[in-house]
Amino acid sequence: MNEQDFAVGASGLTKTFTLEWTRKKLLALDGLDMQVRRGEVFGLLGPNGSGKSTTMKLILGLIRPTSGMIKVFGEPSGSLASRRQLGFLPENPYFPGFLSAREVLNYYGKLVDLCGKQLRERVEELIELVGLPLAADRALKTYSKGMLQRIGLAQALLHDPDLLLLDEPTAGVDPIGSRQIRDLILALKKRGKTIIFSSHLLEQVQEVSDRVIILHRGKKMQEGTLDELLSVQGQSQFTVSGLTPELQEKVAALLKSEGAELVNVSHPKQKLEDYFIRSVSK
Amino acid sequence: MKNSLRHIFVIAGNTFTEAIRQKVLYVLVVFCLIMLGGSSFYTQFDFRGDDFKFMKDLAYAAISVIGLLVSLLGAAMLIPAELEKRTIYTLLSKPVRKFEFIVGKYLGLVLLLTLFVTLMAGIFMLAVWGHESSLTAGILKASQGHPTEFQQQMINEFRAGAYDPAMWQALVLIWAKLCLVTVISVLFSTVASSTVFIVSCTLFIYLIGHLQSVARDFWFSQSGGASWLTTAFLAAVSLFIPDFQTFNLIDEIISGNPVLWQNTWHILLYSAVYTVIALAVSALLFENREL
Ligand SMILES: Nc1ncnc2c1ncn2[C@@H]1O[C@H](COP(=O)(O)OP(=O)(O)O)[C@@H](O)[C@H]1O
Ligand SMILES: [Mg+2]
Repeated sequence: MNEQDFAVGASGLTKTFTLEWTRKKLLALDGLDMQVRRGEVFGLLGPNGSGKSTTMKLILGLIRPTSGMIKVFGEPSGSLASRRQLGFLPENPYFPGFLSAREVLNYYGKLVDLCGKQLRERVEELIELVGLPLAADRALKTYSKGMLQRIGLAQALLHDPDLLLLDEPTAGVDPIGSRQIRDLILALKKRGKTIIFSSHLLEQVQEVSDRVIILHRGKKMQEGTLDELLSVQGQSQFTVSGLTPELQEKVAALLKSEGAELVNVSHPKQKLEDYFIRSVSK
Repeated sequence: MKNSLRHIFVIAGNTFTEAIRQKVLYVLVVFCLIMLGGSSFYTQFDFRGDDFKFMKDLAYAAISVIGLLVSLLGAAMLIPAELEKRTIYTLLSKPVRKFEFIVGKYLGLVLLLTLFVTLMAGIFMLAVWGHESSLTAGILKASQGHPTEFQQQMINEFRAGAYDPAMWQALVLIWAKLCLVTVISVLFSTVASSTVFIVSCTLFIYLIGHLQSVARDFWFSQSGGASWLTTAFLAAVSLFIPDFQTFNLIDEIISGNPVLWQNTWHILLYSAVYTVIALAVSALLFENREL
């Protein structure tokens, strides 16, 4: 594969922070190799402090690697060319609190070189998309965490970038908002966008990502598609309706006679999230 | 290039908006207004021509001191806040260069100072105009509209004292001085992240800047001149620290001594060169800072 076929290509990416005062070294990321293909939804998983945000900042060029190299669409990270093609939602986003949502989007819109009618339309479109039309003229310092997260998403999407970096996009967001974010990620994927997101909430990762990396203390522990990582090899599952106890016994006997074994019979459960959303949307 | 300029202006505009939505600013402005208003209050008791000198002294002092506070606090509050609240991450994830951020912040604060000085000067002029018209009206009333030659002379004197064109010079110099303080504060903000620390450092440079030419005169006037060490030290100081002493021209103007515009232009040019260099150094330092 060519360098340009990757949205992000990192090899041997290492970052050490030197702590102020004590001058102690802290290894935040240790020799990470990571290739994200164009059009992929890529999950960075790991507990707190495992190096997810550090990886994001390295992709953005906000910090420089101690060693190793990293490219975004074949451009050096942090270059203007690379930043033109990406949008970033920071962890716990915070915006100039003295501005309203509309003002802040206008401000950032000008910085991604939108102007005039195009800018105005894009801002309205995004306010609508992230579901904030009612609060759009309120100062952001009155916003809740989940609302800030939505504005964070809107500003990341302003210039319709090809690569989206979402650092803990669902942290502090209610289940409905969280589902909307998930749907948004899927909609963007459909339009050919590449999305890299980090999370420590595993359930959500499972629903949207094509591939994941699991980080722990700055080291890559696992990498692969969810199918590869999660399917229990050598076992299969049916979902059946109208299964009577007699039929179940017959099936078990049939399986046994064919050399297979019935491992487990249980009722599929709906997910609490789905149940919750159906309950409140009634 | 065109984008760069646009980014700088957009960031400057945002900085200005942020600054004028700070409560501290209003407290300072109110203080300044009290000082300006106070000056015309004290002069209401006696009808003398040098009232205007008194008003000017107080007004320039108010604008200088409060302006100094505004310029000391401006960058020292806004730049660390941007880092602490990590809004800088969002900003720099956009195709914005770090120097555009620095220059934008600086220009936004310059805009703020311009508005501040203009507004305060405007209000001061109103106070002067009010006082002058009440004085002349008093004389005209006493003479029933036909002032004697002596009274006319007095009126002319009042007006000359009130509307001294050299005032513009003083205001421009005060403004330039405040802008210079701001650029130093911006410089410190690119390496430090504590408001108190940045204000202290800027104030320190401000004081040294006032003392350096005094020190120079002192050392060179000693018998046998200064040692090479002192000379080198003074040279280094005068290279890095702006000579705020030159702004003492403001005092000359206020005390009524004529000062050539040429001298004012020299100071403005000196300030501009210093500012450009300081901004370049700030951008360089900020470029290399881990955020
Ligand atoms: N600016 C910094 N200075 C010092 N240490 C840092 C800095 N940023 C992150 N770290 C450390 O690096 C490690 C990884 O942090 P981070 O990437 O934020 O983790 P995550 O996002 O996975 O929770 C943590 O131990 C954190 O304390
Ligand atoms: Mg993090």
